[in-house]
Amino acid sequence: MSVILFQSTGKRTLFHRLDFRSKAVLMLAVTVTAFVWEDPLAQAGLALAVFLACLLGGVRWAYLRVIFLLMTPLFILLLLTHGFFNVEQVRSLLGREQLTYLLRFPENWRLIGGGGLTREGLLYGLNTVLKTLSVVMIVPLVIFTSDVDQVVVGMVRARVPYTLAFIFSATLRFFPLLFAEAQTIIEAQRLRGLAVERLRPWERVQVYARIAVPLILGALVRSQQLEVVLQSRAFSGSPQRTFLHESRLSAADRAVMALALGGMALAVALRLLTGFGSFRG
Amino acid sequence: MSLSQPSGEERRVQFLGGASVDGAPVAYLIVLAAVVTVLAFIPFSAVLGMGGSFPMSQGVYSLVGWILGPLAGAVSSGIGTLIGVFVAPHTTRVWYVSVMSALITSFAAGAMAAGGKRRGWWLLPFVLGVLGFVVYVGRGLQNGVALSTALMTTFVNWSALILYLLPTRSLFARWIASTSLLKLAAGLFLGTWMTYGLAHVCAGAITYLMFNWPAEVWMTLIPIIPVEFATRGAIGAVIGTGVIAGLRAIGLVKPTHAAY
Amino acid sequence: MDIHTPLAHFEKVSYQYPHRTDFALQEINLTVRKGELLGVIGATGAGKTTFCLTLNGIVPQFYGGRFFGHLRVAGLDTVDTPIHQLARHVGMVLEDPETQLIATSVENEIAFALENLNVPAEEIRARIPRVLEMVRLENLPKRHPSELSGGQKQRLAIAAALAVQPDLLVLDEPVSQLDPQGAQDVFAVLRELNHTMGMTIVISGHAAEELAESAHRLILLAKGAIVAEGTPEEIYGNVPLLEEYGVRPPQVAKTFWLVRHLLPPGASLPVRLSEGLNRLKDLPRPVHLPAIPASGATRPSAEALITVRDLHHIYPNGTHALCGVSFDIHAGEYVLIAGQNGAGKSTLVRHFVNLLQPTRGEVHFAGQDTRTLSTADAARRIGYVGQNPDLQLFNRTVEDEIAFALRHLHYPADEVRRRTDEALDALRLNDVRQRHPFSLPKGERARVVIAAVLALQPEVLIFDEPTTGQDLAGATAILDITRDLHRMGKTILVITHHLYLMPGYAERALLMNKGHLLLDAPLREAYHNLAALERTALTQPQAVKLAQALEARWQVPLPLLTPQEVAQCWLAEATE
Repeated sequence: MSVILFQSTGKRTLFHRLDFRSKAVLMLAVTVTAFVWEDPLAQAGLALAVFLACLLGGVRWAYLRVIFLLMTPLFILLLLTHGFFNVEQVRSLLGREQLTYLLRFPENWRLIGGGGLTREGLLYGLNTVLKTLSVVMIVPLVIFTSDVDQVVVGMVRARVPYTLAFIFSATLRFFPLLFAEAQTIIEAQRLRGLAVERLRPWERVQVYARIAVPLILGALVRSQQLEVVLQSRAFSGSPQRTFLHESRLSAADRAVMALALGGMALAVALRLLTGFGSFRG
Repeated sequence: MSLSQPSGEERRVQFLGGASVDGAPVAYLIVLAAVVTVLAFIPFSAVLGMGGSFPMSQGVYSLVGWILGPLAGAVSSGIGTLIGVFVAPHTTRVWYVSVMSALITSFAAGAMAAGGKRRGWWLLPFVLGVLGFVVYVGRGLQNGVALSTALMTTFVNWSALILYLLPTRSLFARWIASTSLLKLAAGLFLGTWMTYGLAHVCAGAITYLMFNWPAEVWMTLIPIIPVEFATRGAIGAVIGTGVIAGLRAIGLVKPTHAAY
Repeated sequence: MDIHTPLAHFEKVSYQYPHRTDFALQEINLTVRKGELLGVIGATGAGKTTFCLTLNGIVPQFYGGRFFGHLRVAGLDTVDTPIHQLARHVGMVLEDPETQLIATSVENEIAFALENLNVPAEEIRARIPRVLEMVRLENLPKRHPSELSGGQKQRLAIAAALAVQPDLLVLDEPVSQLDPQGAQDVFAVLRELNHTMGMTIVISGHAAEELAESAHRLILLAKGAIVAEGTPEEIYGNVPLLEEYGVRPPQVAKTFWLVRHLLPPGASLPVRLSEGLNRLKDLPRPVHLPAIPASGATRPSAEALITVRDLHHIYPNGTHALCGVSFDIHAGEYVLIAGQNGAGKSTLVRHFVNLLQPTRGEVHFAGQDTRTLSTADAARRIGYVGQNPDLQLFNRTVEDEIAFALRHLHYPADEVRRRTDEALDALRLNDVRQRHPFSLPKGERARVVIAAVLALQPEVLIFDEPTTGQDLAGATAILDITRDLHRMGKTILVITHHLYLMPGYAERALLMNKGHLLLDAPLREAYHNLAALERTALTQPQAVKLAQALEARWQVPLPLLTPQEVAQCWLAEATE
């Protein structure tokens, strides 16, 4: 099984032309804004904007569909639990006792009698769903439109110590290798006749977790050779080095950063001062 | 073959080891970060068989801290988790929460046995844990969750805070350094429980601020969370005993702040 | 080219790793001259890697330990000059193609050392195409390393080393993990660098035939000391010396050594194939040729144990890895499966244990469709020993490793003990039963895995590349075990590209190429089918090539496989 890394969207869109740093700022702004808002309408606007940006950036619909499918159970859970049970909090947020019931259980039902599905709870659930969507979708938008080299150089330019940027890029290099090894280890266990699904729970944990033992030990043994390679190639972790690739902030980058940071500050300020983005039912 | 005395002049060998992060060779950080990324892909749902699912990487954050020390451990598992989020955004709900859990867990583990100038380092994750707990439970009470429910749900967290505050913190660290297999396993199990418990409550505070689970959800979590924690601790113990025994057998150069 | 100026000079160099009492290098006195290609040979543990790592200061500066004597490379003392400074003069290529590539693209790999050495970006951009052309990778600058073949990876590592324009290129066992095609490509590049650019090259390894063709001079290491030094003729021609130190001579040298009494007095032995073929004319045609040993595989008439019918496999990425393969394997056979990387060998055998399912066609084991077997059930009847032992070891002691599966399969305790003891005995691991598997040398780690698989008492054992990265002794030890198991009645399947190792073990060969079964024949027939071997980029052992030359010369069929068999043409007559 192979893992696609930084699956480039294959196109050269506006997002591809932006520097990684400006996209990282955008990611921060979207994340913070999604966090502070609780109004489903505002969240919907944000999620829609991120979704459209993804499509514009060339993130494939097929990929987004997989994300939606995988997260659907969580979303249903969020909607149902908030819809049925989130009463106290919604009341306190709205400052009123009266909620709109869309469905009500008979009073004589045990435990849940008198409860039911409220419109306000459902809307609050929708807010959490959309919040999650914005936060999840912004990641592929930023990452799939960036080249690894750009990310590394962008990190260094953003004053991330070079050693850390290097660890980041080298991890990306070695991850597929270890991923393939993990598959081999899982197979090796099965080839010893061990069918995890047939074991008792404690045995399952014991056998299954042991996959990581050869993975980690093998990796650490290899790291010794890796260290030799790094030294042979004059690596010292020193920031005093040149870079083959460049990372320059264009006017567009500066504009995106300014807009993103400004937008974020505005969202926080309006929420605090005017209540914009707070939950209104 | 032993040679009585070489005829050449003995030279003064300077140990000019390569780049390191807080005393751990860069290569170790790279491979362990890659391990964390890989394990982020391996779910533990099949094992629990009850819907609750978490990636195996959560069981090794602490181990990474014990192998590399607090700073290098946090860097390694943090970068590994971050890349896990990047290559598979759908495996995690809120990416910054995953990365934060990794950072806090590895740091808390690495700081357990820190001495000398680092004697006070454990306070950082502890204070974060307390803050997380206050925010999480405080907001829960505000939202109408009963105190008893809140305390039962957060059993794993306040038990972790107490264990981390008391001398049990350094006791578990000593067990992890012990050659007795039983002590090692117990140290790894409890250490994993304790350190992940701190990170979990910080993460919980943030996700709760986002999602505001109603009280009923808190109640359903009461039996699930301890089982998850026990599984995570068991994973930590199984992997940790295997890896630490292996590391001792291979005699790989130990990072300066390793705890094993 | 001036091949006399000294480039590296060892003077009384001895070295001891930290926490060790023995010396990894002892009393090395040697000069490496500019423009020479020096081969470093010796059994595993002889000190080849340590020797190579002294040349760029990694030993002792990274490993520590005690260092005696002086080593100067390009005028710099390797103990006092920092490694990153030595890195400007010495390029290093290591054994494992995977670990030594650290960047996320081919061009970044080449740029890495240059960036560290503060070379300006324009200069880096200028050098990249130049070095890629030298190693014949000019079309792939943007590729991710994981998309390259093993041979391409090693050539990229060479390119990365060349980019700093070093005075000396050091390669530690660069081809031991490659298939024959990959190894040939790497050696071709090295010869060209040496001939056309005068690059000084030090290369260690077990690739006797290739080193004989390429090296100007060889040193033979044993226990860290140079026990012999000379031209390939002098070293590879001294067969008893090599055998004493566990080093495999080129087959051509071995063959002529066996019939040395027929050569003119004082004549040196040929060590390269071309010379060997030439010298055949010096040997008389024997009056009686020896009887050719039986071709081995007499197919048992019993029902087939494994049947493969029109097997196709297409991977999710669209690769058509198997294209209509059909054959039978009978109980008690010993079968070699050979072919270049990507031929479909592993894909094929993975169907036997239901790790893969046919896209089309069928695989049956003992009459049962393997799709209906769980991998776990199949594993109890078919043992599969994978390539890298380190990925198959999960336990803290050798004993636990062997008992691991038995315990989790809930065998009674006394049965677990009995089977564990049997497996430990069979693989001669009794002395290390309490050791941690990772603390053992690679050859023994491989044996632990075999023992663990054997404990399940499978009828069939599949060995995937069991000899990769092993020296002669290690490879022979593992193959001897396969022969013992075969004699015990097990059915054995071995996947390897090391054809020269398999005579005396395998009886039948399946040659694969690009998902097709090229040939299914007795071993002798397969080894003499040059067309089939060439199609799948396998190299005929030199002994086979000599036999074919004799066949053409004498106009008689001579399906011989080994130096011993070829020599027997003359020896048989002498003993009659």
